[in-house]
Amino acid sequence: MYIVIAGAGRLGLVLAKKLKEDDHSVCLIDKNESLCNRLAGELKGIMIIAGDATYPQVLSQAKIEKAAVCVSAASSDEDNIIICHLAKELFGVKRTVARVNDPKHIPLYKYMEIDNPVDSTSIIARIVEEEASFTDVMSLLSIKKGRLSIVRVDIPEDAPVANKSLKDISLPPNSVLVSVIRGPDIIIPYGSTEILPGDEIIAATLIDVEKDLIKALIGKNIGAAKDNH
Amino acid sequence: MKYILIVGCGKSGKGLGLELSKTENVVVVDRSLRSLDSLGDDFNGKKIWADAMDTNTLEQAGVKEADVVFLLTGNDNLNLVVSKVVKRKYGVKKVVLQVNDIAKEKIFKEEGLNIINRTNLIVEVLNKCIS
Repeated sequence: MYIVIAGAGRLGLVLAKKLKEDDHSVCLIDKNESLCNRLAGELKGIMIIAGDATYPQVLSQAKIEKAAVCVSAASSDEDNIIICHLAKELFGVKRTVARVNDPKHIPLYKYMEIDNPVDSTSIIARIVEEEASFTDVMSLLSIKKGRLSIVRVDIPEDAPVANKSLKDISLPPNSVLVSVIRGPDIIIPYGSTEILPGDEIIAATLIDVEKDLIKALIGKNIGAAKDNH
Repeated sequence: MKYILIVGCGKSGKGLGLELSKTENVVVVDRSLRSLDSLGDDFNGKKIWADAMDTNTLEQAGVKEADVVFLLTGNDNLNLVVSKVVKRKYGVKKVVLQVNDIAKEKIFKEEGLNIINRTNLIVEVLNKCIS
């Protein structure tokens, strides 16, 4: 696949190397000429173009019309939006992905029809929150516009499911326990698997029974900590 | 009285704001407090110190009621992005924006936006000088 990346900052650079390793052909565009000269020496097999990607002639030089994906990873949101907009409208690129620097600018990405705005700030905030474990219930992922949710639940001492086998636990319909994390071990649970206090449970559930599932697991009514969507 | 929203309080934004605030209802938005302060005491309108790329700012500035929106920041890309959103999402009838690069002016021209290019303007005026 041919992929054009605008912006050779840390993100653009790591992504370009990764995609190259996965045998994609990659073109990297950056405004900074001296950086481009250095990269051209360092990176083998990646096309480097020095220029401002918000100018159509620069995108055209990168043969963006042949790209399957345009990734805009610049540190300025207006630039990212314009680059993806040009790629789509002027060069007919099917898929546009952009880094969102300020989450407040997300509506603009949406109105300008960028296919995948990636909000790094919110993603990192969620990971930090997850690591710091502010809550014993955490929404890890939501799929299909939030209808299916993957949650992580820490099992407290007094949980109704503690010290019970999976077959003796009644869970709401449309929910399933995917794995039990116990210290360093990851257990894929069967009917005979026993849930112990201190276990971390990963469960998949439809969003409308998420609360029931959490109540069944820890006996309290709390919603999973939500991410931005 | 017309409701006029000006984004960008540089030389043109400031000049236009001061002039229009004599007769119209004017709101000026800028990311820099110093630029807004430069409007001075003669300015008879509202100043909003905020980021125009944030739709909350635009709504707070009353974009929905605006008769005209001027986008006069020195950043072509910002002017272009915000102008499209103002036109598409908020349905503002008259959107005027400053774009310094002629190539971009051509691409975004068809969108029904009034694009002002400094170079073209000056050339036009200079041209009139010889006739």
